[in-house]
Order: sequence, then structure tokens, then C-alpha cells
Amino acid sequence: MNNTHPQRLERAVYSREELCGDYFILWIWDEALSKQIKPGQFFEIRAHASLTDAEDSRCLPKLFKPISVYDNSGGRIGFFIKKVGPGTIALSKLKAGDMLELIGPLGNGFPLITQRRILLVSGGIGYPPLWYLQKELINHNLIFWVHGGAGQGDVFPCDEVWTVDGSLGKKGLVTQSLKSLITEKKIDLVFSCGPMPMLKQTAAITSELGIEHYTSLEAYMACGIGVCHGCAVPIGSENAWDYLRVCKEGPVFKAEEVLWNML
Amino acid sequence: MEHAVNPLQTRLGKLTLHNPVTVASGTFDLENLEFFKQELLGAFVCKTITREAKVGNPPPRLFETEAGLINSIGLQNPGLDAFIAVNLPILRSHLTVPLIVSFSGNSIAEFGEILQRLEAEEGIAGYELNVSCPNVENEGIAFGVHPETVQCLCESVAKRTNRELTVKLSPNVTDIATIAKAAENGGATSLSLINTIWGMAIDWRNGNSMIKKGIGGYSGIGIKPLALALTYKVANTVKLPIIAMGGIYSWQDALEFLWAGASMIALGSANFIDPLVVPKVHEGLHQYMIENKLSLQDVVGKCVV
Repeated sequence: MNNTHPQRLERAVYSREELCGDYFILWIWDEALSKQIKPGQFFEIRAHASLTDAEDSRCLPKLFKPISVYDNSGGRIGFFIKKVGPGTIALSKLKAGDMLELIGPLGNGFPLITQRRILLVSGGIGYPPLWYLQKELINHNLIFWVHGGAGQGDVFPCDEVWTVDGSLGKKGLVTQSLKSLITEKKIDLVFSCGPMPMLKQTAAITSELGIEHYTSLEAYMACGIGVCHGCAVPIGSENAWDYLRVCKEGPVFKAEEVLWNML
Repeated sequence: MEHAVNPLQTRLGKLTLHNPVTVASGTFDLENLEFFKQELLGAFVCKTITREAKVGNPPPRLFETEAGLINSIGLQNPGLDAFIAVNLPILRSHLTVPLIVSFSGNSIAEFGEILQRLEAEEGIAGYELNVSCPNVENEGIAFGVHPETVQCLCESVAKRTNRELTVKLSPNVTDIATIAKAAENGGATSLSLINTIWGMAIDWRNGNSMIKKGIGGYSGIGIKPLALALTYKVANTVKLPIIAMGGIYSWQDALEFLWAGASMIALGSANFIDPLVVPKVHEGLHQYMIENKLSLQDVVGKCVV
């Protein structure tokens, strides 16, 4: 069910973890909040405190950033983040004890299913939501996970690794092996998250093979709560589609319902 | 025993409102009221509706600049029928503060048709005629740039309603004061300004526009000096009360617009930056009035130049 009652919270960073390259993890601790979150949901998060504290015009307040939940167990909630711009760079400077502003949990999340043969496909910063998902699904399903990145700084633990520059795992794009993997491993369900070209290619393959496929989309957001319609993506069929909100009706959509050629 | 006087009480044309803080159309909805009590708003302005449903512009629709936000939503809305059947009853059942319905049209006749349908509905305190959205080609903006058309539109609409009638003006014109005057002559009872200004952002690495349609509407802190200047200019041209907006992020910003001549201020992009901006601005204004033993009338339009 979509969250219609977003909450605004301030929580201290419980700990931070350095990863390779531009990646890091911020952990917060909140047992009550932890129980409300499901895989595929996200929070709008921000490093600095409220507007009225930002009287220094050199640090104009900026938008929150939508960050998916990477891990969530027993009150320990993790955000696995890549430094890509001013918002995430500000987040990267937070230390344990610093305050994080959060709005969430937001979005619909992945369907939690059982008794399936699942392929997870991720690219770069598409990895985190699938980590949380596989933790929830692993005891009830067979899972194989392929992940790709530009180089060795963009890959994380999984079953099969691809890098564009060949610095780790197989050289090439993660989508190269998908068709044979799906056939060989008798996959009947795909979950994906990552860059748009990767998602498009994955959707084309699952469509051709008739495999059920849920994809988690990323979009530039302002409000995160369904108000501004800034994060819209075309969803439906060729003849009957609408712009739905990644923050509210998404971020997880059936791949067959995404009008990929419009994105 | 003396009753405490509300120092924030304001008048907007036909309405007396208990405070001057409202929200810019399209930046605020019932979801935001999860974060604070609606009584902190003087009025609630809904997202602009059109006669037919609008699918909106292709993505990407947003880009955050150094100082503010560019949007290209394109008035995505469910259309008048769905608004009346679905959205309006929900708004009515949740809102205790006055509702101002924002709408736009392709022609004076279409504006009239929408008004007629809304007139039959209860729970609406006023209308905002959106003649200034920069993100749609034919609707609204075609009106907002011609004084004669704005006057004709206001004349046509004003005689058919007793509700508050505010006209939302575009800054993307040669002389906003002329348009404001035309709205006043036509029978508008208040003005709302400014809508977003044209804005664009390009990825310097590869030349790609950050907004699919190229040019969008720029809002937020970067447009504050322009919005303030136009508020001041319009306030000195017409007698109509003004709902001012454009880069208001704090109660200090809000005060500047009140001094410049606004009777109300609207928060837009700031709602995205800080979900608690409405209560913070309300609280700041209230404190300022109490501490300085002022009421709103002592401030509005009293800026010293």
C-alpha cells in the first residue's frame, strides 16, 4: 500500500561506513520506524537543519534527496549513498551524531513473494534497494543476483559481477548475460534497479521471454510526497497511459507497463 | 474584559482571513497537512485545474539550480469533471480554512464554463485565474500577456460570481503593472504574483538540457528580488490587495513582501525545501507583530523608499 501519511523526522546518524569509490552508508536507529518500512521504499533525506538556521547565504537550503532503504533490521536502518551532486556530497560529510532530516517512508515498495526463481539485476547505485529485498526474500525463494558497474569502485557483493572496464568480474554490460541466465537458471521473476539504459535493456529481454519483471525507477524529485508531480513517468499501455509519480505510485512498477521509449 | 486582537488578520478582497500566510498553487496539497495544523494557513490554494484532463509535460520535469528550482510540470491535472467528482469533496471534508480554486482555460468562454460549474459547488471561498503558467503553450499564458484580454476575461468572470476573484500574473511580460491595472478595471478583487519566470539549465559536459522541454518555470530564492520589485510596482499601481510570492523562504522574507505592499504571502518552492516552512513563517510573523506592537495594517505597503 502506498504511504499516505508521510512523517518528517530528525534522527542522529548512528554510524557511518566508508565503501569503495564514491559510496558510503549512513545508519540511523529507530525501532518504531523500522517496523513501518518495506523493501523498495525510500526516504527523502537531507544533511543540514531547517531553513531558519541557514541564514548564511552561502549555504542556501536545498531540496531533500530521495534515497532508498538499503538495510532495515531491528531498528537499524541504512542508507547506502553515492556522491553525485551537492545534496549527496553534503550527506557524505555527516558524522556519527550529526542530525539527518527525513521524510518517509515513501513509495510503494517491491511485492514480497514466495516460491519463485528470482533474478536480481542491478547497476551502480541501483544495488541498495535490492540488498534489502533479497534479505527479505532469501528464505522463501531461489535468488541469483547480477550486478554491473563502470569499474571496480562500483561493484558490491552478489553472485555475478560485470564491469565496463573489466577491472573486476566479467568485462562488459551486466545485461549481456541476462538472456542465457534467465533460460539456464529457469528464472520466472526479475527485479531490477539501476541506470535507465540497463533497465530498458532488461525490460526488453524480459518482455521477449515473457518473464514477470518489477523495476524500481529513479527520478528527480522536489516534494517526495505526491504533491508536485515533478517525478512523473509514463505508465500504462501504448493507447492508455498516464504520467504517474515515482514517489507515490512508484518507485516500483511492472516493467511491462513502463513506456520505455518515452523515457 | 478585552479580547486579544489578532495582529495577523488580513483582508483579501471579499475575504477576511485570520492570517496572511498561504501557499502557491501546485506546490502544496493535503499531504503537506501531515506536517502541521492547517489553521496556520490563511487560505488553501489548490493545484490549477483545466476543463479537460492534462497529462502534463514529458520528464525530466525538474532541476534544482544554484538558487531555486526549474519546473516543467505542464499543469498535469485530472480535469474539471474529476476535480468536482473526486478532489473537491475530499478537499471540502478536510479543510477548515478557506479554499481558493485555481483554474486555467484556452479561451474566455472556457474560463467562463469552468467558473459556472464551480459556482454550483459549495465550499469554495474564491478563485485564482491562472493566466500565467509558463509551461503550457495555449492555456493561460496567452491571456496573461495582453492587457485587453485580461480585462475582458475579468469582466466576463467577475459578473458571474460573488466569490473572491484573484488573477495570477506572470512576470514574463513587458510591464506587469499594465496587466495588473487591466485586471483591476475588469473587476478582479485581488491579484496574485508572481508566477514562475522562464528558466533553463544545461549540462555543461554534453550540452543536454536538464529539462525535457528546454525552458521551464524558475522559482525559489533566486527570484526573490524580482518578485519583491514587481510586488512593490503593482502595489503602487493598483488598489487591489496582493498575494505575493516568489522566493519566500523565511518570515523575514515574508515581512519584506508585506512592507512592499502584499496583503498575503504565498509559500511555493519553500514547501519542498522545508515541510515546516508554513508554521515557521507564521510563528515568525506573529512574534514580530507582538514584539513590535504592530498589526498587519501597520506594515502592508509601508516600505520606506
